[in-house]
Amino acid sequence: MTLRSYLVGLTLATLLPVALFAGTVGYFLVQEQRETFRTGAEARTLAVLTAVDTELEASISTLNALATLAALDKDDLATFRDRARRILATQPQWVNVNLARPDGQQVMNLQVPAGAPLPNIGDLDGSFARLRQTGKPAVSDLAVGPVLKRWSFAVRVPVIRDGELRYVLSGGVKADSIAAVIKAQGLPGDWVGVIVDRNGRIVARNREPLASEGQMASQSLRDALARSGSGWFRGHTIEGTAVYTPYRRSEVSGWAFAMGIPASTVDGVVSRGFAFLGFGLAGAIAVAIALAYLVSRRIAAPIRSLASAAQAMGRGAAVAAPPDLAIGEVKTLALALAESARAIGERQELIEREKRALQAADRAKDEFLAMLSHELRNPLAALTAAAHVLKVSEPAGEASAKARGVIQRQTKHMARLIADLLDVGRVSTGKVGLARERMDLSEAVAGVAAEWRGSGRFDRHRLSLELASVWVDADRARIEQIAANLLDNAVKFTPAGRGIRVSVRADGDSAVLRVRDEGMGLQAEEGERIFELFMQGRHAEGGMGIGLALVKRLVELHGGTVAAESEGAGRGATFTVRLPAVAAPGAEAEPEPSLPGAARSVLLIEDNDDTRHMLEAALAAGGHSVRSARDAAGGLALAAQAPPDVALIDIGLPDMDGYELARRLRTARGCERLSMVAITGYGRPEDRQRAVEAGFAVHLTKPVTPERLRRALARLP
Amino acid sequence: MSAGRRILLAEDDADLRLALKLSLEAAGYAVATAANAQEALALQRREPAEVLVTDIFMPEGDGFEAMDAFRREFPSTRIVVVSGGGQRGKGDYLAAARLAGVDATLQKPFEIEVLLAMLRRL
Repeated sequence: MTLRSYLVGLTLATLLPVALFAGTVGYFLVQEQRETFRTGAEARTLAVLTAVDTELEASISTLNALATLAALDKDDLATFRDRARRILATQPQWVNVNLARPDGQQVMNLQVPAGAPLPNIGDLDGSFARLRQTGKPAVSDLAVGPVLKRWSFAVRVPVIRDGELRYVLSGGVKADSIAAVIKAQGLPGDWVGVIVDRNGRIVARNREPLASEGQMASQSLRDALARSGSGWFRGHTIEGTAVYTPYRRSEVSGWAFAMGIPASTVDGVVSRGFAFLGFGLAGAIAVAIALAYLVSRRIAAPIRSLASAAQAMGRGAAVAAPPDLAIGEVKTLALALAESARAIGERQELIEREKRALQAADRAKDEFLAMLSHELRNPLAALTAAAHVLKVSEPAGEASAKARGVIQRQTKHMARLIADLLDVGRVSTGKVGLARERMDLSEAVAGVAAEWRGSGRFDRHRLSLELASVWVDADRARIEQIAANLLDNAVKFTPAGRGIRVSVRADGDSAVLRVRDEGMGLQAEEGERIFELFMQGRHAEGGMGIGLALVKRLVELHGGTVAAESEGAGRGATFTVRLPAVAAPGAEAEPEPSLPGAARSVLLIEDNDDTRHMLEAALAAGGHSVRSARDAAGGLALAAQAPPDVALIDIGLPDMDGYELARRLRTARGCERLSMVAITGYGRPEDRQRAVEAGFAVHLTKPVTPERLRRALARLP
Repeated sequence: MSAGRRILLAEDDADLRLALKLSLEAAGYAVATAANAQEALALQRREPAEVLVTDIFMPEGDGFEAMDAFRREFPSTRIVVVSGGGQRGKGDYLAAARLAGVDATLQKPFEIEVLLAMLRRL
């Protein structure tokens, strides 16, 4: 259903009861009007009849006066005749005067010469009989008089002498005298007025009076008169015209007057009323429907345009608000639509942004995986090749020595890679605790640089160091990690032959580590983003995209900052790490033991053969005497033979955990002053805590480098 | 190809370069090394090798550059490509190299015996 049909329906539903009501009221009004009309017509009928009666009574009065003449007392007919003739001359509507005995035998007739025989008129019609019966005047029916041969009627009065009816005096009256009376009533032109006698014969008629005189009235009128003395009916005139007819019979004459009012006149009142009502209603309905149509257009047009706007919105097209909204609700709808369109647009944009971010993250992840695979496979390839060299070469030869060097550096490199990988997650979720100690930043950086130089990683670059001692409260391993990652980054992005400058110095309250390369520099837009996880420079040739992210997080963990600067692409980059500086340890600081540290007797318990051999070599190189076992039982046996100064214990032993072994060694004979160093794969604070509780003096996380081992031993009492 | 012939090794990682050189020398080959494509090409021009063993990812002239240059200038030199690149993200570089028409490809890490067998077959 459209809005238009609803509105039209609404209009009709409202109008219909009104129409019914109006129809009913109209019907009653029309009925009343018709009744009024009828009453009026009947009153008029009565008036005409009264006028006719008056006319007749005038004749009766004149006859009554004649009847009292004294000549009749003595039956002096000659005198009476003479007086009657004079009276007749004064009555233009009269045609004759006659006198008859009560039995009807005429004794005088002015139209017949005196002495001539006269007919009996007693049985001419019922008027004689009526007069005899009532003793009152009577009017005869219409008849063609035997003398005058024209339609006339007689008015008869009794002549009473000595209380006896002696004569009946009759006046012949022209029928057209009655016609004049009707004419005088001034009926409307198309109305028919008619006087009929008791026989139903027309006495007078206002239409074609001469032609209709003496004719029988219409059958419908005669039937009605037979039924009652007065009334109203619908019938036809003698000409056949449909008419409404009010009629009434006179008491005086027994005649009746009837009017033929054209049915069209009467019904016209009704049909005009109904037509008026009908036209009014039809007009109202038409106007209402037209208004409904207009209003529906006014509402529907903007709604349709809003609907197409909403569809356009669905397709993602721009939405133009339809202009000229006159209806408040529609305006509200339009505003709501515009608002939704804006919201959808924003959401679309957000989705697009998120999609792009997801795609970028996915790309970064793919690149990361590719780089990870490359970064891990390269050292593995080197290790495999070096292992092969060891297998096929003279162990004491130069090739084997080089291969061992490769293995040593690559294992370390890989260990650092894996540590970075594992750390980056832990650092970013804040799960890394710092084992802080007061340390010289320059010394840590120098150590890393020396190690790298030793492995040949700076062979293709000019490295310059500019180190000034500045102290920080930091986790040594983490600081080394920071330095190593910055150096790694510099080496990776600096073409062969160019320089890398590393400096450490104090700047106010900060210790500043700066690594400046002469590499490809940074794009302006790279800025801070290079510190994001898995973010690789546009010219990324390698690296996992975690080094700088790890640096940033580790520096921040130490309460410091890191920044990258570049004068543009191809002009090198400078990475600056600032850490809170602390006071240098004064005279109370124990001097670093000179290399090599004091020689000690060391007991090494380590189940991994490679690690054990490496550590044996490192300890021997440091001038210590070494005995080693591959499990706890072997270690306890060696300690029982001769108590060592230092025990170096791997926590993850096959037959007993390192903590338990530490407790047993502590209680072994001669081992009261034993110093113990733990070697574990776990660097969590709780692991360190546990090691301390078990009696370890130092806790070393794998991989243990000779340098770290040297430092750890030097710190032991 | 038999032992005693000359091999040119292009690899940017110093330790891997050294370890491969030692391995190949132990197998009896004469080995020249380069850290990138340009160096490899320069060496080849000075003293041509029969086989080029090259990495793909190298700064300043990668393996594909080396392949192109050698194909143009030294069409008879056999080429073996090694790579540690994965097969995700940036695509399968070894497959790309095979399509480019190299004689053999090897995914890092690899057993030296496999490389040696490959060289013997060439």
